[in-house]
Amino acid sequence: MQEITGLFKIAEILRGILGHFLPDPQLVDICMSLINIGAIFTIISLTAVVLVYTERKVSAFMQRRSGPNRVGPGGTLQSVADMIKLMAKEDIMPAGADKWMWILAPILLFIPAAAVFVVFPFDNKAIFADLNIGIFYFIAMSSQSVLPFLMAGWASNNKYSLVGGMRTVAQMLSYEVPMVLSILGIVMLAGSMRMSTIVAAQQHTWFIVLQPIAFVVYVITATAEINRAPFDLVEGESEIVAGPFTEYTGMRWALFFLAEYANLLAVSVIATTLFLGGWNGPWLPGWVWFFLKVGGMIFLFMWFRWTFPRLRIDQLMSFGWKVLLPLALLNIIVTGIGMYIYEFFS
Amino acid sequence: MVGKGLLEGMRVTLKAFFNKKETLQYPEIKLTMPDRFRGGELKLDNEKCIACGLCARACPNHVIELTTGTDEQKKRHLKSYVYHSGLCLYCNYCIEACPTNAICWDKNYENSRYFKDELDVDCLAISKQKSATVDVAPADKSNAEQEDTLKRREKDE
Amino acid sequence: MLKTETFTLNMGPQHPSTHGVLQVVLELDGETVVQAIPHMGYLHRGIEKLAESRTYAQFIPYTDRLDYVSSMGNNLGYCQTVEKMVGIKVPERAEYLRIIMTELNRIASHLIFMGSLAIDLGASTGMMFGFRSRERILDLFDMACGARQTYTYIRFGGVSADIPSEFIPALQRFLTDFPAMLDEYHRLLTGNEILYHRLKNTGVISGQRALEIGLTGPALRASGVDYDIRKVEPYGIYDRFDFSVPLGQVGDCWDRYIVRMEEMKQSASIVTQALEQMPEGTVMATVPKVLKPPAGEVYHSIENPRGELGYYIVSDGGVNPYRLHVRRPSFINLQVLNEACQGLLIGDVVAVLATLDSLMGEVDC
Ligand code: SF4
Ligand code: SF4
Repeated sequence: MQEITGLFKIAEILRGILGHFLPDPQLVDICMSLINIGAIFTIISLTAVVLVYTERKVSAFMQRRSGPNRVGPGGTLQSVADMIKLMAKEDIMPAGADKWMWILAPILLFIPAAAVFVVFPFDNKAIFADLNIGIFYFIAMSSQSVLPFLMAGWASNNKYSLVGGMRTVAQMLSYEVPMVLSILGIVMLAGSMRMSTIVAAQQHTWFIVLQPIAFVVYVITATAEINRAPFDLVEGESEIVAGPFTEYTGMRWALFFLAEYANLLAVSVIATTLFLGGWNGPWLPGWVWFFLKVGGMIFLFMWFRWTFPRLRIDQLMSFGWKVLLPLALLNIIVTGIGMYIYEFFS
Repeated sequence: MVGKGLLEGMRVTLKAFFNKKETLQYPEIKLTMPDRFRGGELKLDNEKCIACGLCARACPNHVIELTTGTDEQKKRHLKSYVYHSGLCLYCNYCIEACPTNAICWDKNYENSRYFKDELDVDCLAISKQKSATVDVAPADKSNAEQEDTLKRREKDE
Repeated sequence: MLKTETFTLNMGPQHPSTHGVLQVVLELDGETVVQAIPHMGYLHRGIEKLAESRTYAQFIPYTDRLDYVSSMGNNLGYCQTVEKMVGIKVPERAEYLRIIMTELNRIASHLIFMGSLAIDLGASTGMMFGFRSRERILDLFDMACGARQTYTYIRFGGVSADIPSEFIPALQRFLTDFPAMLDEYHRLLTGNEILYHRLKNTGVISGQRALEIGLTGPALRASGVDYDIRKVEPYGIYDRFDFSVPLGQVGDCWDRYIVRMEEMKQSASIVTQALEQMPEGTVMATVPKVLKPPAGEVYHSIENPRGELGYYIVSDGGVNPYRLHVRRPSFINLQVLNEACQGLLIGDVVAVLATLDSLMGEVDC
């Protein structure tokens, strides 16, 4: 790994210190892995806490309320308090639940949500692992979340959960396809699946200018991928109570919740990287730009959620297959032709 | 065009996002209730009451329980007057029925209680106690509490 | 051998979108509804029976608790029925006040309908907006009678008290602001393509079927049947106002939604007209303290926000009604749920339930 970043340096120093105390280099490696996992878990929890607070404030403001404002200055500690409350809650397992599947589901959901964090390009050279298949890795990881939802739905021994689980499979599978296709246009333009290369290719023009259709398709499918309104059928509160999470309480439920917000962050980061030029931007340092753009994307997703009603399952499916998929395919064709013409003239 | 309605809706919510908020921060700011507000508990004025029992008769739900007695000058007076606020429909019939305006609402809408029996109010005892001690209007009391909480909050910040 | 079978899903009585405590037993084939049977009775308080042990006047507060989001209409229906029995003439000003209050209450009730429809379809902002405007109306009621939900404002022979002086300016302010509010809802909800596609062509009830089953109110008019008691059999002084009755065409959820949205506009116009025409004067006729209607029976119905609200009273000449029955539109409208839901999806059941706008307080009288 040739990138020497701030985080990387910290890791090196830690490794040095550990090397003094532990005799075996293998032990050091294990310790470092544990520390890394701990760090990512902390980051995700923090993100969730911040995002939950933001969501509640945004929703409140859009509904002309003031939102949480009691715990801590401006209510900022509200979600911390909620977290503590969740941890202290009783862990109830429904009678007749499929024990191991039921226990594993939230954990399995959380792992891919955490795993995608390694490919986020926060700044020039600040990336945990700059894989040469970064985008592919992201897609592969995020599609893992289908199974845990189904597991949770099946194992809960609750009909609402089961219906929710079935909906998840239908929804996520059908929106994965146009999402991948919309990303394909970017990969064609950048000629690489490596995150840093894609961002570097947007130094002059952001891909949103070259790929507006792909951006629209991506945003729609991403909303569906992370089960947020107007595509929140999986947990459609007024229909199936809470879908697969209906029977979960306390910390297990919190894991679902964490994964949900981690996913929200993930799709916003990917949107920023692919379409909004990542860390590129004048005057300010790269990471500031990056977080500004990610914040913008997150706001957009929240804005959707607090404005739109929910779709129906059949409309959702036909929209995915009959509108988004052709649109994404068309985009690829147009991109290909455009690239050919561009090369021909220059 | 498809999607125009969606954008329009987003404009509405965005406008609301930057607009003034409609809610009030309850324990600090309390709404003043209109003059005719029916709510809280019944407030009895023992001096005005002629123990006629019309209020209890008018009540649809048997909320008011009163017993009367006569004193030495053959004047009727109340022996007990219990208002079961848990049963009250807040219909105002009792107040409208009273010939001497001896009862009225105390307009304190914060009348939640921990225990059910606390909902039974002995209005006569309260009324007697009040005429014995210096009158502390309930409004002042809540104002004082209000100032207290405000002060505490200021200190916190 | 592979075989499929239907399964039963109990929707309610504790469910986020059954508007009170209604239980709908759904028989589902996957997500498709085979049958949707409403089970009610969770909120039964025996109000009709209670009436038999109360005097006529004492029953008014109980009518507030039937359809608790349009209590003014309940009061009005009951009082007019008893007035019809006894033959009480109501002063002019009281008649106008009654109209103003019931029409305002209709707006408030439809705002709740809009809000709950919005949240049932997942747009919670719509609900907050609806409740905000309703709050303005409740403030007005609070000013006039001191209660926000259980008014007991309309009494035999008039209304309980004349409106206070600050009422009319506040009402006029509301009437000027109302078109803008309505416009906001139209922009947020009516124009929304998702909402349109969710509601259009779901839960269709034909006009013929609606009549057979006895639907009334907006649910009937959405099916294209022009039946509004305010027009057909004007009670009170409804014949003095100029308003139109909005009608739907197909009788789907969308029509029921649009009809109600239009009705709000009409109600606002009725209030404006009533405000202009309202004379000065007393608001209460002289009515004996203890009412003893002559023996006999009477039925009278009015157009409540949810449909035809009728009171049927049998008197034996005593101080209590011998028997009192309420024709509750919510209860009767709910019958159509099963038919309207068959073949739809779970998400649509919620939409049908919301647009039928049955209120559990009235279903389980
Ligand atoms: S308000 Fe009505 S229910 Fe309550 S005590 Fe008075 S008469 Fe009885
Ligand atoms: S009606 Fe008035 S005067 Fe008569 S008993 Fe009741 S409170 Fe006393």
